[in-house]
Amino acid sequence: MSEQPRSSAAESAQLAVLSHRFEAIVTRMQNTLARSGRSGVLNTARDFSCCILTADGDVLMTGQSPPIHVMGGPDLQARSMLEFYPEVHAGEAFLHNSPYHGNTHAADHSILIPVVDADGKHRFTVLAKAHQADCGNSIPTTYMASARDVYEEGALIFPVVKVQDQYRDCEDILRMCEMRIRVPEQWRGDYLAILGSARIGERALLQLADEVGWDALDVFSGKWLDYSEIRMASAIRKLPAGRAVTTTCHDPFPGVPEGIPIQVALEVDPVAGTIDVDLRDNIDCVPAGLNLSEATSRTAALIGIFNSIDHTVPHNQGSFRRVQVHLRENCVVGIARHPASTSTATTNLANRLGNAVQRAMAEIGPGIGMAEVGSGMSPSEAVVSGIDRREGSTPFVNQIFTGTNGGAGSPHSDGWLTMSDLGSGGTLLLDSVEIDELKQPILIHRRGIAVDTEGAGELRGAPGIDVEYGPVGGTLEAIYANDGSINAMAGAREGLPGAPSIQAKRTTDGTVEPVDICGPVRILDGERLLARTSGGGGYGRPTRRDPAAVVHDVREGWISRDRAAAVYGVVLDDALQIDVAATERRRTSLDNEELVKA
Amino acid sequence: MGSEDTMRMSVDIGGTFTDLVVEDGTGLSLYKAPTVPSDPVQGILDVLGTAATARDVPLAELLGKVGAFVHATTRGLNAVLTGNAARTAFLTTAGHPDVLLLREGGRQDAFDFTVPFPEPYVPRALTFEVTERITSTGEVLTALDLDALERTCDQLVAADVEAIAVCLLWSTVNPEHELAVGEVLDRRLPGVPHTLSHALNPSLREYRRASSAAIDASLKPLMSDYFSALTERLRDAGLRGRILMVTSAGGVIDAADAVARPILTINSGPSMAPVAGRAYALADTGSDDVIVADAGGTTYDVTLVRRGEIPSTRSAWVGDVGTGHMTGLPSIDVKSVGSGGGSIAWVDEGGLLHVGPQSAGSVPGPACYGRGGRSATVTDAALVLGYLDADGFSSGAMTLDAEAAVVAVKTSVADVLGIDVIEAADAILQLTTEQMVRAIEEITVGQGIDPAKAVLIGGGGAAGLNAHAVAERLGCRTLVVPAVGAALAAAGALMSDLTAIYSATAPTITSSFAIERVDAALAELVEQGREFARKAGVAPEEATIALFAEARYPQQIWELEVPLRVTAFAGPDDVADLAEDFHRTHLEILGITDPASPVEIVSWGARVTVRLEEANHQVGALPRGSAEITRRRAFVPGRGITDVPVVPLAAMEPGRPVRGPLLVEAPFTTVVVAGDAQCRIGESGSLVIETETDRPEKED
Repeated sequence: MSEQPRSSAAESAQLAVLSHRFEAIVTRMQNTLARSGRSGVLNTARDFSCCILTADGDVLMTGQSPPIHVMGGPDLQARSMLEFYPEVHAGEAFLHNSPYHGNTHAADHSILIPVVDADGKHRFTVLAKAHQADCGNSIPTTYMASARDVYEEGALIFPVVKVQDQYRDCEDILRMCEMRIRVPEQWRGDYLAILGSARIGERALLQLADEVGWDALDVFSGKWLDYSEIRMASAIRKLPAGRAVTTTCHDPFPGVPEGIPIQVALEVDPVAGTIDVDLRDNIDCVPAGLNLSEATSRTAALIGIFNSIDHTVPHNQGSFRRVQVHLRENCVVGIARHPASTSTATTNLANRLGNAVQRAMAEIGPGIGMAEVGSGMSPSEAVVSGIDRREGSTPFVNQIFTGTNGGAGSPHSDGWLTMSDLGSGGTLLLDSVEIDELKQPILIHRRGIAVDTEGAGELRGAPGIDVEYGPVGGTLEAIYANDGSINAMAGAREGLPGAPSIQAKRTTDGTVEPVDICGPVRILDGERLLARTSGGGGYGRPTRRDPAAVVHDVREGWISRDRAAAVYGVVLDDALQIDVAATERRRTSLDNEELVKA
Repeated sequence: MGSEDTMRMSVDIGGTFTDLVVEDGTGLSLYKAPTVPSDPVQGILDVLGTAATARDVPLAELLGKVGAFVHATTRGLNAVLTGNAARTAFLTTAGHPDVLLLREGGRQDAFDFTVPFPEPYVPRALTFEVTERITSTGEVLTALDLDALERTCDQLVAADVEAIAVCLLWSTVNPEHELAVGEVLDRRLPGVPHTLSHALNPSLREYRRASSAAIDASLKPLMSDYFSALTERLRDAGLRGRILMVTSAGGVIDAADAVARPILTINSGPSMAPVAGRAYALADTGSDDVIVADAGGTTYDVTLVRRGEIPSTRSAWVGDVGTGHMTGLPSIDVKSVGSGGGSIAWVDEGGLLHVGPQSAGSVPGPACYGRGGRSATVTDAALVLGYLDADGFSSGAMTLDAEAAVVAVKTSVADVLGIDVIEAADAILQLTTEQMVRAIEEITVGQGIDPAKAVLIGGGGAAGLNAHAVAERLGCRTLVVPAVGAALAAAGALMSDLTAIYSATAPTITSSFAIERVDAALAELVEQGREFARKAGVAPEEATIALFAEARYPQQIWELEVPLRVTAFAGPDDVADLAEDFHRTHLEILGITDPASPVEIVSWGARVTVRLEEANHQVGALPRGSAEITRRRAFVPGRGITDVPVVPLAAMEPGRPVRGPLLVEAPFTTVVVAGDAQCRIGESGSLVIETETDRPEKED
């Protein structure tokens, strides 16, 4: 297809060259942030993002970052900046973490910097955003599922607050933060890293404009967004037409004893080249920290869609034009209004929502969509705190990343083992056991994949991971927010769900007992916290799985020989060779059972 | 040794060509022969034969004069990439079977689900848990279960393993369990080589240490065979001098050491380019901040020199970042992108031009090779623009089909975009330049180097097409294309020293500095360095031992290397100096600093250098070949296709610079100087190009 107007030679070359230049600027911003960040959540979990927006607030270029950060929020943030500061000037920087003004959730501190030319004209906005180790919540966690409202949550909220003027710090704001944020020197270090990253983006854009001129950059912006829209329209035109409604349910949590049911209605219109997602038919905001902000509702829906199509389509306002996400005010997966708490807006319900969207895409037709990615902030990713008595007696609080949820089966591959969750897109790093044991007084006794916990499928989900850890010479407190131990992650297109997650404790006498779904949990010296993360859902019917892949999974100890026969219908002998005749019989009988059920 | 008729040779086996550089009393000479993939040593003997013929001496006589023979090979690397290394078992602490599978987490492209989760370097089926546990303080929490270990050995024997890697948690702090496992393996599986992680790579982070050990063990059988065959056949051919191997860290070691620790040579390919680049930048311009770009047929490798030092990284991957395998050992920091003469240009359905990542390789190759390739490649675009000599490509090694190049560029790019073929070819080269610039910017930003203040070295057979454009885009004032640039790595191997890097894990923090523990670790490192010198046959005083700290701010996870001013910390002043040096380095590389913060030191290291006494560090190369200036129709931006002089390097005279636009024919490459830059011949015989210092005119 060729919708694009014939352009001049210079413009053709320029579009490709300038898109590289913009990408390189975002990469440079991200590298700076990654390498200079101080907190584990920033530098290990890589929970940060950078992007460039047009002057009027369109997302123009994003980089590799947790998807939940950058798709449907930065535009709202940039526009809120213009609402509060209709005239912006060179040298200004704004701190923005308000989920009521376009940010994801309060723990993500964003810095917005207007890029202003020599004549004082606002040309672009750069944004750098990073999750903080602490944001002043009432308890030491940045994911406070139990918060009944923003007051109980306790986070400091910055709805576009000027923190630099004429390239100089507004020190009073920084002092406020240092009085209300735990481990203030760590926050200060991260703040410097975020600001530094945004300033690097600003400088690079000014240099680029010096070289090619602002007008050329404006032309590029328009053409790049148009190009991205063409790519998106073309990707959607390859899909079959269809409408699908999927449902899912977040596990019961404090404040929501029945759990939170979610419904997604999705329609693909290949003729118009558009996708429509309606989230309005869902319950109102709940008295818990689980509500989604406007940014995370839109973004989670967009992730579900972009996970389901050609990954080379650029993610910016141009391609987003082709997706309409309908949201409702005061809806739990809509637009949370102050003072509803959105403390866990980037994880729990966002993961449920995005999963339901990609599963709806899977229902539209074969070869598209995905099963559900493992979800839940397992105790393996808890914020742990206590007193470190190894040298003296110093308090510690830190989020550890010791075990990830399993990825979902897709039409192209088995689930990604260290996927973590849908919102992160698997980008976060996993802690080294040795580094964790050095940083805080804990011992990680066990970490490895949990056999037979994958969502079976033609393309299977990834299994969960078992992690077992405990304190060294003291008591450990752990806070988490584990979804998925009751409602497992569903498969798609006849794929099976992954195994549910587990949170438990091994007491000093070796018995295992369940613990709270969110914590805080106190683990005494000699006890161990047990976490099993969620397995990802499978894609397609398990009896269609390539028998060679099943054999590989058995040989490598991902699944048991029994499960290979019972679920995949692949019968192996003692030497782990396929019994072809028995396999054929077994698969036929499994398929017949399915028919009967249907 | 060191007498006038003693020669030194270095051989670099590349994917297409095996390069030989010979250093004699007069300078460096370069020879090439096709690589023989099935028998790489034959490729070496072939290129030696080429040199002997060219110099008109029998091979045995030529080799008889060689005092040192330096060799870089991708043998180990290829074995790892293709999964052809030994059948290796992995022994790990009980409860932690998935160290190699989980790696360090992460995923490169959040939306790309076509990439499957990578397999571990050693399959889970060959992973065995060892009942034992040591804690971070070195205390034994669970004693080593020797009975269980004997049973594991039964399984290892039954599984016919060919090599074994052992990595136990905290073995760097207390190696007793790994050593005990090693003794049992020696007894139960004699003849099966093993690697103990603490001995190979005493650093924190179990994945990196385990991966180093697993890769190293898996290469031992193969590399040991390869080195014996190499040595034997070279000796048979008449070589009597010392055989040295290039390491990933940019030094050389004796072949015997490479056999004992084959992982040290795994990234030897790109590690020598910065050594050569440093020498040429110094000889021709006096500069010690250098960007070294090595452009081959399929990849573009960028390395750096910062104030005369070549920065290294501990997070080097074999294969792709994140899905390959980390070597875990210090390696020259190199950024490689799949951009070369064979990269294919195409237009997507939204009308955007792309170059790569697909490559036409050498078969079928670019359309102009006439081997059936239909896709437009960078080489085709260069030919369309008149930058290549269709009749004398690669110093006459082949002829090119200009018509095929025009057809390819026209059909796959020009017609789709609705522009003419010259514009299309120019757009392809511009985009290629941009990709190269991006690779350079990524690594210079990471290492805190301002490209505008550095010299760019254009090396590699495909250097000439873009080097000048890249220099202009980066704002580099000086570009140097060495006369032996087409074999930069092989030339660098002749300029390098015997080196080793030792490290010790003694974590501490400047706010409560464990002075005794640190001083003990440093003393041990110095002793290891002296021992290295003794083994190399020189007095320990002759070795240069540079101590450094790998440090960070508390809670950061990436360390920066900071040289130490002292060999032992006498008191708080020395600690304060270290902190100050760290703050400055952090500012330089990452743009910010936090002087009020204490500094954590994760590990300590020693870089030991022993200068090879026979090396006289020559860099000069004699121009050879025709000195006749011709003219060719070629594209000049702003002017279109026009008459451009073609100047052989041999025609250029010292003190008589020429101005662009022109094409300079250097051995095995043509350098395109599209603008009006000044070109001269440098001290070492290199082509030195001073770019236009004024930036393009601004619009506002």
